[in-house]
Amino acid sequence: MAGAMLAVKGLSKSFGGLQAVADLSFAVEKGAIIGLIGPNGAGKTTIFNLVAGFLSPSAGQVLLEGKSLVGMKPYAITRIGVARTFQTVKPFRKLSVLENVTMAAFLRFPMRRRAEEEAARVLEKVGLAGKIKILANDLTLGDQKKLEIARALGTGPKLLLLDEPMGGLNPTEIDQAAHLINDICQDGVTIIWVEHVLRAIMNTSHRVIVINYGKKIADGTPQEVVENPDVIAAYLGKRARPHAAD
Amino acid sequence: MKPVMVAVALAVMAAAPWIVTDPFFVHLMIIVLMWTVLGAAWNILGGFAGQVSFGHSAFLGAGAYTTMILYLTLGISPWYGIVLGGLVAALIALPIGLICFRLRGPYFALSTLAVAEIIRLVALNWESLTAGPVGLLITTLPAVSLGGRAIDWESKTPFYYIIAVIALGALGMTSLLARSRLGAYLLAIREDIDSAEAIGINTVQARVSALALSAFLAGVGGGFYAMYLRYVDPDAVFCIPLSVEMVFIPVVGGLTTVVGPFIGAVFLVSLAETFRSHFQVGHLIFYGAFMMVAIRYMPEGIWGRLLLMFESRRG
Repeated sequence: MAGAMLAVKGLSKSFGGLQAVADLSFAVEKGAIIGLIGPNGAGKTTIFNLVAGFLSPSAGQVLLEGKSLVGMKPYAITRIGVARTFQTVKPFRKLSVLENVTMAAFLRFPMRRRAEEEAARVLEKVGLAGKIKILANDLTLGDQKKLEIARALGTGPKLLLLDEPMGGLNPTEIDQAAHLINDICQDGVTIIWVEHVLRAIMNTSHRVIVINYGKKIADGTPQEVVENPDVIAAYLGKRARPHAAD
Repeated sequence: MKPVMVAVALAVMAAAPWIVTDPFFVHLMIIVLMWTVLGAAWNILGGFAGQVSFGHSAFLGAGAYTTMILYLTLGISPWYGIVLGGLVAALIALPIGLICFRLRGPYFALSTLAVAEIIRLVALNWESLTAGPVGLLITTLPAVSLGGRAIDWESKTPFYYIIAVIALGALGMTSLLARSRLGAYLLAIREDIDSAEAIGINTVQARVSALALSAFLAGVGGGFYAMYLRYVDPDAVFCIPLSVEMVFIPVVGGLTTVVGPFIGAVFLVSLAETFRSHFQVGHLIFYGAFMMVAIRYMPEGIWGRLLLMFESRRG
């Protein structure tokens, strides 16, 4: 696939006897929003950790625009354009919102003033412009999730890995987050997005990949995926009928 | 801090030996400034980078021995020896960092304790270099004249000015670090090391840099220590109490602040002296009890608390 931002080929990871990811292959075209879904423990976060270099694969390849990421340290992968967020937010708690994002912007802007300007721009985008002086620890969970995204954007990524950016948010915040994700995509950032909030992911993603027990069980448009019997079985058990999916 | 306040502080420091003439108090001022340097050294690694070391006496000792050995065997003046002592300490820190920073949190702290103990045993047994448990002694310091007048090394005043310059250098370095990108990266590492990696920070490199900088200052402090006391032996400089004291000073003064180590040194040195003069036996018990109270009720340190109060009054 010539225009692929990310290509994953035969990716496997086992922890002792547990096969968390098994012979997984998929490709992500530039500029897409890809939803990555699957039941709890399906291996979605493990896939992110493998792509971002926090874990090294037992087998297989991860290619960013054709360049292998396997064996690279997380910081090095970030430097060539892959940013990630964490499922459980990990802000720099005792630092201000602005400082949190400035840290990330330092990657491209070594001078503090320029880095701060860039951080302010990103914070405006995610809707935290009015809270830049607050300590990250004092933000609500919804704002911490936004901060997590802002910090990832601060590094200037080509590919953004979002690990449950909507987990624990209320319906209004979910709508805002969906808008934000669309917005980021408009800026030319490719997005892979793990989520349990199915309504949001189905509305926003261009394509959805479904994982169960570390294997890909479906890959297609949101519409195709919800009608896929394997997917319905994975989520609801084998005996459920298709129309019970929604 | 305001330039005016800095100027006042400098003037007071420069004038102090004229105001305080009692040799014992000059000695105390020297000790305070020496601990300021050592506390500032620990503050860079423990305060900014959040990496707790219980083995910083290793770097103090390395600096002390380097300065001493260079002077005794090669006749290199302590002027250079003190700086070289810092460089040797920083050099020793590099492999230590690369090994120990594979460990996180308490495991890192324990590994530093182990490394310091290994270095103490090496110093104790490498008798051809260190004279082992006998230690090294110098009787005279090289003659230096300043503005045509020979410096009197039997007086304490020259030592006061030397350590004052070193201490200002250490705090100046801290201030520069606090404003630099490396300083920011160290804070990120302290707050969350996974997030730090995720935003592109090479956390091993940043931590090793912090350790080397910290070891350099501790080594410089150690070099001064050797020249001031004119004697070193392994149990005196590579000992756990020195390492622990280096932790206490910035913690009590205010971690991650520039002036904190100085405040901590002033406070703890005067406290230790007071307890020592009032209680012949067991003064360390009171010292220890104070430390527990201070850490429990003022975890941000004296200077850290003052800064917080100042900010909340303004905001």
